Amino acid sequence: MHIPDNYLSPATCAVMGAAMVPVWTKSVKKVKDEIPKVKIPLLGVGAAFSFLLMMFNIPLPGGSTGHAVGGTLLAILLGPYAACISVTVALLLQALMFNDGGILAFGANCFNMAFVLPFLGYFIYKFIKDRVITEKGEYIGIALGSYAGINVAALCAAIEFGIQPLLFKDSAGWPLYCPYSLSISIPAMTIPHLLVAGVVEAVFTVAIVTYIKKVSPGTIYEGAKQKTKAIYGLIAALICLTPLGLLATGTAWGEWGTDEIKESVFGGNVLGFVPKGMSDGIKFDAIMPDYAISGLPDIAGYLLSAAAGVAILIILFKIISSFKKDKVGSKIG
Amino acid sequence: MIELKDVCYSYSNVNALNNINLNIEKGEAVALMGPNGSGKSTLLKLINGIISPDSGIYEFNQEEITHQKLQNNKFAKLLHQKIGFVFQNSDTQLFCTNVYDEIAFGPRQMGLNEIEVDKRVKDCLELLNIQDFKDRTPYHLSGGEKRKVAIACVLSLNPEVLVLDEPMNGLDPKTQRWLVEFLVKLNKAGKTLITSTHNLELVQEISSRSILFDETHTIVADMPTEKLLEDIDLLIKVNLVDQYYHTHKVYGKL
Amino acid sequence: MDNSREKIIDMPQWLLQTENYIPQADKDTFVNKSILSLLKVIARIKTQDSGKQAKLLVNVHLKVAFTFMLIILLSLTRSFLFVIIINVYLIVILSFMEAENIIKILKISIGMAFFTFVVMLPAVLWGNSYSCIMITTKIFASITAVGILSHTTKWSLITSTLKRFFIPDIFILVLDIAIKYIVMLGDFTLNMLYSLKLRSVGKNKSKYTSLSGIAGTMFLKSKEMAEDMYYAMECRGFTGEYHIYSKLKFKIADYIYILINVGIFLIFLYFGRK
Repeated sequence: MHIPDNYLSPATCAVMGAAMVPVWTKSVKKVKDEIPKVKIPLLGVGAAFSFLLMMFNIPLPGGSTGHAVGGTLLAILLGPYAACISVTVALLLQALMFNDGGILAFGANCFNMAFVLPFLGYFIYKFIKDRVITEKGEYIGIALGSYAGINVAALCAAIEFGIQPLLFKDSAGWPLYCPYSLSISIPAMTIPHLLVAGVVEAVFTVAIVTYIKKVSPGTIYEGAKQKTKAIYGLIAALICLTPLGLLATGTAWGEWGTDEIKESVFGGNVLGFVPKGMSDGIKFDAIMPDYAISGLPDIAGYLLSAAAGVAILIILFKIISSFKKDKVGSKIG
Repeated sequence: MIELKDVCYSYSNVNALNNINLNIEKGEAVALMGPNGSGKSTLLKLINGIISPDSGIYEFNQEEITHQKLQNNKFAKLLHQKIGFVFQNSDTQLFCTNVYDEIAFGPRQMGLNEIEVDKRVKDCLELLNIQDFKDRTPYHLSGGEKRKVAIACVLSLNPEVLVLDEPMNGLDPKTQRWLVEFLVKLNKAGKTLITSTHNLELVQEISSRSILFDETHTIVADMPTEKLLEDIDLLIKVNLVDQYYHTHKVYGKL
Repeated sequence: MDNSREKIIDMPQWLLQTENYIPQADKDTFVNKSILSLLKVIARIKTQDSGKQAKLLVNVHLKVAFTFMLIILLSLTRSFLFVIIINVYLIVILSFMEAENIIKILKISIGMAFFTFVVMLPAVLWGNSYSCIMITTKIFASITAVGILSHTTKWSLITSTLKRFFIPDIFILVLDIAIKYIVMLGDFTLNMLYSLKLRSVGKNKSKYTSLSGIAGTMFLKSKEMAEDMYYAMECRGFTGEYHIYSKLKFKIADYIYILINVGIFLIFLYFGRK
């Protein structure tokens, strides 16, 4: 579920990042209060744990494998605040060092996986656990919490994607970032998560918590016993959706069916040439609109292609000779 | 039974095994010795099929073990049943919630019915004297107890070869002694033993033949254990011991 | 005689016989795949520390700051030409690097670019080719840029640079600990996966249980490690402060680098006018 760069506008990324700042501040403060001294190594190791958990390939029926995020799992084991920080650090390492997830999109990814996922999942888990006071109740809480957590996180990602074409267009009306509106992004993101990823997450979380409970129950986080009322759930949901709401103000949930394009009004301009591109077939000109190579002085153009050509040749040469040397490689049986 | 011809292996450009030639017959008790980083653990992994040689040939029971063959599920599983590996860190070997299930894991996979599984588990528990731990969680046992459970859960597969990576590490002297006697018994019962160890006091008892590695990741000696332990110059040369090393003559041992 | 010696009974019959076992097929690629992922991650962290980074001698702070600037500019730009220029610039830098690193970086950037291309294809059907072309090339550039940074710099230096971005020392300490423990915990987990693989000699009807047993043990181990580390830190007088010392001296290579990046920024502005 890691969002790469350039799918979301910098503005969206900035907003999501800003939304995370209070979350991070609060989490750090809470962690300091709750486990005062052991916090730093625990957060670092917790981040390592979160990172490694995302590397696990989990068997799916049919022989393929999937991945889990484990945000709710961490929240159950370490508490939601520590989980937030651990997942944040893991995501930072993934983005910066392993190129998994964008740099600018870091705020959005954290919002989805380090905030929504652990907090919502933990809240639902606690809510059910405190009401259905049986062992079964706890497991149902874990399952539903992690399932809901990841699905809502996916929904948030879908919304972040989907509002891009509505808000960020150039003067001609082309979407600058993710071109798929909510009617496409939401089903595209949520259906696989509802059907597969959510189930994997739930099963994996329940199984791990079960194991730890059997082996070492004392290590699980015991949150303060508080009376959770349904109203808090509503508030939590609203808080989650507020930054997204800020972005979406003033826009309608547009449908982007091809028939409506002619009639729909985007930012005051009526799109007339989209259907033209379609009806005339896709020509090369249409693919490379105005911002193409024209407008560049010849010499610069030559230099550019020369530099590119030489560099590509060098790279190819290096790669091929490395294959020749490395004909055995390291074989893992 | 186990044949290695000119085997070489490197971990991304760092050499770990250099032209290894080795023959181990069925029923032998062999020790691998050498300073840290000389390649012993790598060789053990190779024998177990976790990694495959970059060059050279590894044959087990006259069949060549290659990377491609190991991709075949059934082939790999059969190899893993025939060669049991006891890891250096027992913590990494145990992942079930109680000792019984841990030991039963292997036989259950092999498709034995529950009665046979139960017999095997009970036998292993008795052999290693850990009957009291049947329902305990492996994670919370002491180091020596974990080692016993680890051995038991490998033994229950009934492998032909038992490979042990530094089995004496972390055990108190009494348990070390116990382990030595146990390994001797296993060897007498027909199991081939390959042990990697630093324990020069006890190595003679668990192996009749020793193979010495040096820091260039090659085998520099392959001879009866007693003889090797007397060649102190060689031991100093490979940086396994220093000039203050000495042995106590062991009486009454084979 | 040693009366306290533990009794060893006679060997049971099944141990004395050779097993005639024929394994069933079972789909357990998940163990191998997990092993491979962990191996790659651990290897990656170990190589970045090995000090082979001598090629690009530019000051780390500049590298991090300008890579970040590049990502922002790429994201903001609407000029396809700008994106192409940046791509050429990055490819030229790549050509100076070692083949091993080039392959690793390109694998991800080409992979992601291709994936993006495919994802954007449906939009082409209703006439939107902008997304397909622009976003794909932008993604290639951003990922390559970050890849170059992370493959040519020691990560401990990158994390120490964050201090200059006003991130509190404590976060950086957590980051450094995390990197170190990914290797330690990763090694531990890797061995667990190996032992699972070696004992998976037949049909494993409880794959989830085995895998979650490993993950659960990994968690317990991580807690142990954290406690050990805490005690060690206490014993060495840790009081919560973590000072990062980094020099800010510039050499010729740094000035050239600064010039190039200022040039990039100007080109961005120039093409942004359209």
